[in-house]
Amino acid sequence: MRDVLRLSITLAVVAIVSAALLTGVHNITEPVITEREQREYLEALERFFPEIDHFETEEINGDQFDLVYDQDGEKLGVMATVETQGYEGTITYNLAVDAETEIIGILIVSHSETPGIGDVITTDNFQEQFIGKSFEDPLEAGEDVDTVSGATLSTGAMISSIRRTVTTIGETFLGKERQAFGLEDLADGVYRGSVEGTYGDLIIEVEFRDGRIQVIEVVEQNETDAYFMEAYPEVPERIIEEQKLEVDVQTGATLTAERIITAVKNALEGAPEGEGGGGDN
Amino acid sequence: MSTSNPYLDDLSRGIIRENPVFRLLLGMCPVLGVTGYFINGLGMGLAATAVLIASNVVIAALKNFIPPQVRIPCFIVVIATFVTIIEMVLQAFQPALYEALGVFVPLIVVNCVILGRAEAFASKKPVLRALIDGVGVGLGFTLALGILALVREVAGQGTIMGPDPESTILLFGEGFEPMGLFGQPPGAFIALGLLLGLTNVLFKKFNIK
Repeated sequence: MRDVLRLSITLAVVAIVSAALLTGVHNITEPVITEREQREYLEALERFFPEIDHFETEEINGDQFDLVYDQDGEKLGVMATVETQGYEGTITYNLAVDAETEIIGILIVSHSETPGIGDVITTDNFQEQFIGKSFEDPLEAGEDVDTVSGATLSTGAMISSIRRTVTTIGETFLGKERQAFGLEDLADGVYRGSVEGTYGDLIIEVEFRDGRIQVIEVVEQNETDAYFMEAYPEVPERIIEEQKLEVDVQTGATLTAERIITAVKNALEGAPEGEGGGGDN
Repeated sequence: MSTSNPYLDDLSRGIIRENPVFRLLLGMCPVLGVTGYFINGLGMGLAATAVLIASNVVIAALKNFIPPQVRIPCFIVVIATFVTIIEMVLQAFQPALYEALGVFVPLIVVNCVILGRAEAFASKKPVLRALIDGVGVGLGFTLALGILALVREVAGQGTIMGPDPESTILLFGEGFEPMGLFGQPPGAFIALGLLLGLTNVLFKKFNIK
């Protein structure tokens, strides 16, 4: 009994001393770290918006958006601080766009992508292709911007995150609107469409009848299980409920959700395959 | 190469005869993980050395207070404390190095070089000898990481003192296409293997045991 007590007390003392030490060091280093991070952020703001006078901070879904104004109160643009899932871990970056939603600059704040491969996202070569692109551009891999071969996942994650961020900024702060995908002129039938996923194709069948999307069925998918369950059936249900493709994808599986939407869009852009309801076509 | 002076022996043993990387093959995780650039290898080595010296000293000082049944948890708490201190200090004052070393800084906690020295040496010896042992083994570890990182950076990037563009020196001019393999993890194994072979040859030649 006495032995147990002695062991416990020794461990407790060691732990308490350790905790006290760490608290002390933390109190010294914490202000230095915060101060440096803030200074670096302000420097970036001034570099991207030389005429900056003040800014207002807004938060959407955990991402920070700073609306930048000049001294006359004119909106110069928006600087976003965004977190996205890369290949190895979370990528945090700043995205600066001007009042016309044109991308001014990208700044990777922190990432843990593979050195020599995924860390191309920090290079000018990769980032420059976004400069000057705006809300009006597709910002789609393979269309107007390119992934880097060998680092498809890291660069692909950046591209879709930048597209989402520009969309959010444009719609929320700069009064832009995406043209809705038109369902009016579609012929009845079953449409089949696919989209390339990380681990394989995602194939979807959409049944369109009486001017409405009736059924969205996933024929084949190779998404990560947890992500897929997060996005399905929620995303198809929302599309059917709202009868439009521009639904919010605020799930924990943004990429999978976006892929489902793109697959539905790809399907409806093609020709119908059958009359639907046939069962085994 | 055993000298009569035990302190000198403690110091040199960790650097040469029992070099943790080249002779004992301990702590391979940071050895392979952060040696893509010389600066990073050196920084990692020095961070580990600082933890090693501090934990060796504290553990040697506490050896009579810590009951043998709970010594390993106590050692780990001591080591983890110093690692966390180093981590916070690096983040505050050496942010570039902190970013480059990434997850390998917290992983110093489970670096078997450090726990190994605590268990095999510091917990049995007086404080001064534990201190000298920590310096010796730490220098040996740093030396090994430095050499490996230098080889890998020169071969894999064609530079020294990278990756910070302000200090990077291009060794072979703009047209040189470096062997990218050496920048990658497999290249770390290959470079380490070559260096181990070389040290074995040298040890045999000079008859060091």
